[in-house]
Amino acid sequence: MDRTATPARTWSRFKFPDSLIRYGVWLSVLVFLAYTVEYLEIPLDRLLGMLGRMGSTIANRYYPPDIDYIMDADYLEYVLETVQMAYLGALFGLLASVPLGWFGSYNMTPSRRYVYPIARLIVMGCRAVHEMIWAILFVTIIGFGMLPGVLALMFFCTGFAGKLIAEEIEAIDMGPVEAMRASGANLFQTMIFGVFPQVRVAITGIAIYTWDVSFRAATVVGFFGAGGMGWYLKRNILQIETERVAAILLSILALVLISEALSAWARARVMKMK
Amino acid sequence: MAILEVRDLRARYSAGGPEILKGISFRVEADDFFAVIGPSGAGKSTLIRCINRLVEPSGGEILFYDREVTTLPGRQLRLLRRDIGMIFQEFNLIDRMSVMDNVLSGRLGYTGNLRSLFRAFPRDDIQRALDLLDRVGLMDHVDKRADELSGGQRQRVGIARALMQNPKLLLVDEPTSALDPKISREVMALIKQMATEFKVPCLCNIHDVQLAMEFCNKIIGLQDGNKMFDGPTGKMDQAMLDEIYAMEVL
Repeated sequence: MDRTATPARTWSRFKFPDSLIRYGVWLSVLVFLAYTVEYLEIPLDRLLGMLGRMGSTIANRYYPPDIDYIMDADYLEYVLETVQMAYLGALFGLLASVPLGWFGSYNMTPSRRYVYPIARLIVMGCRAVHEMIWAILFVTIIGFGMLPGVLALMFFCTGFAGKLIAEEIEAIDMGPVEAMRASGANLFQTMIFGVFPQVRVAITGIAIYTWDVSFRAATVVGFFGAGGMGWYLKRNILQIETERVAAILLSILALVLISEALSAWARARVMKMK
Repeated sequence: MAILEVRDLRARYSAGGPEILKGISFRVEADDFFAVIGPSGAGKSTLIRCINRLVEPSGGEILFYDREVTTLPGRQLRLLRRDIGMIFQEFNLIDRMSVMDNVLSGRLGYTGNLRSLFRAFPRDDIQRALDLLDRVGLMDHVDKRADELSGGQRQRVGIARALMQNPKLLLVDEPTSALDPKISREVMALIKQMATEFKVPCLCNIHDVQLAMEFCNKIIGLQDGNKMFDGPTGKMDQAMLDEIYAMEVL
């Protein structure tokens, strides 16, 4: 074959302006990494020695964990309180996030100009503020106890579930919605018949997931006096009761693992139902 | 008397966008079974959706029983839609609800919010739904989920749902394009039969010219948003068809 007749064809996956942007972005990530390490004066040698120090610290101060302490009836009562707080926070958070998710979904909102941005703003606000900050805020407003904890968890769960539900509603097939509208159904009826059956399974999954994150958050909101086992954690840290702290951390780890396993199992079951 | 009179109807999807319908006028009489034919992109779906305002027209008039449709406010519009049944290309059933609930959903325009929430439809509606399901041959599938049915059966549910409304006009949007030729014919025959029996005039988008000629008494030919033909099926000839389909609009 005569190769000189046609010039060799070339092809590159990333064409010129795109390729420049692509490699430029990677380069800037690396440059910023180097700059940050330099600026913060991160002592990399101490980082390397950390593992050994961590081992000895745990061995000397946190071992053996005081298992008797977490088997105490008083402590277990606080664990139960934590579970109940997580439950209430998730439940009320979900109750708030279903209408907020509806109003904040671009395709089904009653008004794109007014209701949509307001609902989005509320959900975003709930997400933007960390659950710890909510806890501190509510403890300052209404004092110590379970109530500020439940409120903090509720706001946290509203932000979490509201966004997910809105996204689910935005992803539905609009065919049934069109059919309901064409039959003269109002917006509420269109939601019940055209939208809800399509997102029911997804919302159940989101609900289980919400319970999961709510429980994890509930173990620590007590740190600021908002009820639950977090208070025990704080007290023992302040009193340098390191073996008790170790036991409490172990109990949190165990509970979160159990709750994760349960919710993973439940969600898998729900998803199979379709 | 004309059931539906459309005058100089215009539509576009965005303010500066291209005009999809460029001044369409026609009349539908009480015993008409209209076919709207034309190549893809001619504006057939848009035309049909303007009549119950699933698409907002940008100009012109639509008179339904001598009442102007284009200016109706929210609640009035829902009352109007209640009187206009619609059958869809992709059936648009609620997949996760039973056949019965799908048919009953045709009554939503007549049902209150509380009843809708608990799906507690009045006894008469349930009776009517069962009668219609019997008529379209789905008595054995009443409690099945809609997504368990075949394409032809799903469209039958769609037909029963539209008739649940006790409509004064049926809008039918490509009822057969998701179905095979044999089922298509059966479905068209069923729509025609029900329309005759319930004395409902029909406006039916259909790209299959043969089916249009066979089942419809009048034809509107659309091309690129313009009306090219409007008359009884007998007056349609091959030359006209060639002209309508000459320009493919992408």
